Amino acid sequence: MANDRLRGKPDVVLTPEVLSARLDRAAANTDLDIREGRFQRWLALIAGLSSALSGIEVAYEHYKGSYSRRVMYTPVILSGALVAGGMSGFFSRRAARTILPAVSVLTLGDCAVGFYFHVRGIHRKPGGWRLPIVNMVMGPPVFAPLLFGVSAYLGLLASFLRRGEAAGSGILPLPAHPDHWARIVTGEHEPISWAQDVREGRFQKQMAIATAVSAFFSGFEAWYSHYKNNFRYKAQWTPVIIAPMLMAAGIAAVKSPRIARTWLPAISAVAIVDGAVGFGYHARGVLRRPGGLKKPFYNVIYGPPLFAPLLFAACGFLGVLASLLRREKRR
Amino acid sequence: MLGSIQRIESPMRRFSEGEEVDYVIVGVGAGGGVLLQRLARAGFRVIGFDAGPFWDTERDWVSDEKGAHNLYWNDMRITAGEHPLAFGANNSGKGVGGGTVHWASFTPRLHPSDFSIHSTDGVGVDWPIPYSDLKPYYELMELELPVSGPSYYPWGDPHGYPYGPHPMGGVGDALIRGCTNLGIGVSAGGPVAILSGSRANRPHCIYRGFCIQGCKVGAKASTLITHVPDAIENGAEIRPNCMVSRIHVGATRRVTGVSYFDSDGRACFQKAKAVIVAGYSIETPRLLLNSACPGFENGLANSSDCVGRYLMAQAGNVVLGRFEELVRMYKAPPAHALTEEFYETDAKRGFARGFAIQTVGPLPMSFAKQMMVAKGAWGWGLRSVMMDYNHWAAFGFLGEILPNADNRVQLAEEKDRLGIPIAKITFNLYDNDKKLIEFGKNKTMEVMWAAGAQEVVQEARYAHLVGAARMGDNPETSVVDQFGRTHDIANLFLCDGSIMPTQGSANPGLTIMALAARAADYLIREGAAVFKSEERNTQKPPIRRDLSPPDTWGHGMPRI
Repeated sequence: MANDRLRGKPDVVLTPEVLSARLDRAAANTDLDIREGRFQRWLALIAGLSSALSGIEVAYEHYKGSYSRRVMYTPVILSGALVAGGMSGFFSRRAARTILPAVSVLTLGDCAVGFYFHVRGIHRKPGGWRLPIVNMVMGPPVFAPLLFGVSAYLGLLASFLRRGEAAGSGILPLPAHPDHWARIVTGEHEPISWAQDVREGRFQKQMAIATAVSAFFSGFEAWYSHYKNNFRYKAQWTPVIIAPMLMAAGIAAVKSPRIARTWLPAISAVAIVDGAVGFGYHARGVLRRPGGLKKPFYNVIYGPPLFAPLLFAACGFLGVLASLLRREKRR
Repeated sequence: MLGSIQRIESPMRRFSEGEEVDYVIVGVGAGGGVLLQRLARAGFRVIGFDAGPFWDTERDWVSDEKGAHNLYWNDMRITAGEHPLAFGANNSGKGVGGGTVHWASFTPRLHPSDFSIHSTDGVGVDWPIPYSDLKPYYELMELELPVSGPSYYPWGDPHGYPYGPHPMGGVGDALIRGCTNLGIGVSAGGPVAILSGSRANRPHCIYRGFCIQGCKVGAKASTLITHVPDAIENGAEIRPNCMVSRIHVGATRRVTGVSYFDSDGRACFQKAKAVIVAGYSIETPRLLLNSACPGFENGLANSSDCVGRYLMAQAGNVVLGRFEELVRMYKAPPAHALTEEFYETDAKRGFARGFAIQTVGPLPMSFAKQMMVAKGAWGWGLRSVMMDYNHWAAFGFLGEILPNADNRVQLAEEKDRLGIPIAKITFNLYDNDKKLIEFGKNKTMEVMWAAGAQEVVQEARYAHLVGAARMGDNPETSVVDQFGRTHDIANLFLCDGSIMPTQGSANPGLTIMALAARAADYLIREGAAVFKSEERNTQKPPIRRDLSPPDTWGHGMPRI
């Protein structure tokens, strides 16, 4: 972990040169950690935090729907569990390998269930899928449950990663091939698998695809929610424009390592900034409602979705992360 | 067909002519509907009579202000007094579902203080029961309808609602702006018995604004869609278009059945072991008075001379404000925000009790009428005001008028087309009422100004009726006991708004239903004793949560 290596001897004088050298080293180490997949703790924490955001979002969106089915409670409960899983994964290696993947898988399952119910919800509206635009705009947000799965996906990934402090541990690597002579000593072997790729930070392509997919979900949500508001503000076009670009960059990054290190992080950074600006606009929208801060709860519920832009920014975060990773090994 | 996707699948049971049933319920509205469903579910043989039709909402209802006129009780009534009440539109219903078919469906509870205003404020009369007796039934009814509203409602006994609040329309926005600018608490998005999320075979609200024209969507609760289908499922019979004209009393001073005119105008008789009248504040006393017979010369259950007396209407001034920006008050349910900040007595105001301020969203015809009264608009002036309709918002002031013995329902000399004497209603305002209305009207206008209106006008009118056959422990001063059983006749019950001794400044619908559910629990516990014995058990019945319609459970959020 970067911080551990940053901690020098106590009697070193912190001159600006020393500080800057340390910062450089820390940055290089962080980069190396990410490249080599030694960021389990941080990814677990990020999964937990993003789950908190989407949990709050789903809690009040479902409150708007009055929790008219019991199943509507499940994402709220599971997001709480994922927050707990992410936090415990931050503090404990054991939790990161047990609780975190378990909760993440459960949440991903729930996302599929939610997606089914949302698709059915649109189907059950007058006209159903024969009036797709109207009913997608007026019905349950169709891709929201899948977007909710992004934090679970991060949690699952985190469970496969190495922890920072595991670097250079004395444990011998296991032989990859069953016929390798070292197997006589170790008793077991470990074939090179996708899991190992992930463990070693070699999942750039996968992450690029995840970026593209989540950008699609999030951009689609932004498109029809802003359409609902008739694109009254010009800024409402930005996520709709950035999302396809991010998708294109994510897909291209699968083919081209070059794009993965240039366009992908650039557009991702734009998406993050746009999400932050959007968060500001949405907060302003809440404050501008009748009653403003005097009716905080009601206005958050019925105002613009406060955390939705941050979920869009999370797609950008995935893109940046992808750009920092190594590519999968050729097999 | 009830609403857009709800159907009654099972055929309705028909009792044969001459067959004696356990209960006859006269009037299937808020009270009668709930009672009918409960008794049927408990296995009683029960018939509900209603003077109006059994609505097929897809066929009979039109989303049109004028077309909805047949939802009201439009038969002739004579209205008298210094401040005569207007009848027809908003204070009575005709047809299965009764007034709940065209209520705006605001469903606030009464406050605990409402049950003892004589003890605390020295006005009106105390209820025979405290708030705590009714509270579990309020909670149950809020689930059965169900009621949408904030998860924390601060006034009276603070509580939360099982369904989430509704989004605001232009009028709600104005009320919230006005109240928050003045530092007055305001409840956004309820409590209102309109679905904010779908439930079973009822879709959620689509904010088209035709609530009081009968909600064709099926999102707004009425006993027609919440309780009547379950009653039919459980073997209740409903006889629509049947006007009950008389209750018969036998030799043992017990009722034996009812005379009624069926849909063809034929005079018929239905035998019953017990009769429950749920015809609301005008028709209930009218029926009791018209059933006078040897031994009950003043009308049934009228030894106290209280039948028809202590009629109350709520003051319901409408305050209208013109805004620079568009309001479009036809959008969204008329009922969606309110404040009860002025509900309780405040000695500084110089009168007892208080009022609520609520959103109302008159459609163009009512708006034209209000503008005629409020501004004297007529001719070209009215036309230009009507063209400005989209810029106006309307708040309703809902003030408590105290019961008075001289506000009463009597029988007139005139008769209706079936030969039944029609009701004559005398109504006057008294000192406290006038002060309250003056203060409340001004306060409502103040809120409208604070919301940013450029012009504010108001129309004086009255809203809900209650009383005229009040409940109480003393047979000398009341008609029925706390369970709706008449003091004079052991197997005659009343179960509607007429039994409320005072009205509070809450819309009475939910209270009527809660009283009905409580009466049902009482009747079910008493069982066959009601049909035979003269004895009166006054012990509280245990609450029966297993008698709710099947879709009550498994939806909505936990209460705070």
